[in-house]
Amino acid sequence: MSLITRLLRPRRIVHAHCDIPCGIYDPEQARIEAESCLRIIEKHDASDDKLFRARCIHVKEERAELVKQHLDVLWHDYFKPEHLEQFPALHETFWNATKQASKVKQSLDVAAAKELLTMIDTIDDMWKGTGGLEKTRVSGRPS
Amino acid sequence: MSPPRLSIPLITTLVGTAGALAAGAAARRWLDAVEVRGGSMAPTLLPGDRLLVESSTFTRRRPRAGELVLAPDPRDPARELVKRVAAADSEAGKLELRGDAPGASTDSRAFGAVPSASVQWRVLARYWPPSRVGRLDG
Repeated sequence: MSLITRLLRPRRIVHAHCDIPCGIYDPEQARIEAESCLRIIEKHDASDDKLFRARCIHVKEERAELVKQHLDVLWHDYFKPEHLEQFPALHETFWNATKQASKVKQSLDVAAAKELLTMIDTIDDMWKGTGGLEKTRVSGRPS
Repeated sequence: MSPPRLSIPLITTLVGTAGALAAGAAARRWLDAVEVRGGSMAPTLLPGDRLLVESSTFTRRRPRAGELVLAPDPRDPARELVKRVAAADSEAGKLELRGDAPGASTDSRAFGAVPSASVQWRVLARYWPPSRVGRLDG
């Protein structure tokens, strides 16, 4: 194949490679599940129905588990070493937040569920600070 | 839509020069054209960019920090990467490769330093798209 042909349509592909697709991780996922936990605890406390209360506990534990999963994925798949330089408290923040999610899973403590939301918001600030918002959210979506 | 000024003569020059070299180059394969996939070199290189690369320089000397190079992916040697040399350890004969978009790049931070000897191709210039034609070798 002549160089001219190759210039017009190179068949040799070089990869500016990244293992991790950007723009698909959003702390909103964890936040939504954590909000569910809080609301479910409130509904549990407001009810006298034994069966309903049991269901609340069951669903709340499921949602809390999802919080942990979403935070874990965000932590090890989205955040990179240079983000840690930017936010030295990153690891500790995630550690504390996932521990808090465990606490919410185990208890019916409204304050613990609210604290989890605050912790997710701290992570959200870091995510936004690394350009996550611009890379992830489709335009037109409120921040 | 009219093409950006200067780009047509530039392309003509590049393609002309390349054409003049084609016979020998094609035979010896020291000049080649490649297309970029992926975004880890943004904003320097974007997906779809076409580049002129040459393999003569690194027969004379080792790659230097700051140069854009092609390197086999240590985890999948059939795949060729385009990255920037972040640091060159001449004693160990190793290169640290980085993407220009470090937040969206898999590079030496993930797969470690690569042997200098495995890096043979240097990026010279971009010839496509016309609006972004230009040298990339310093």
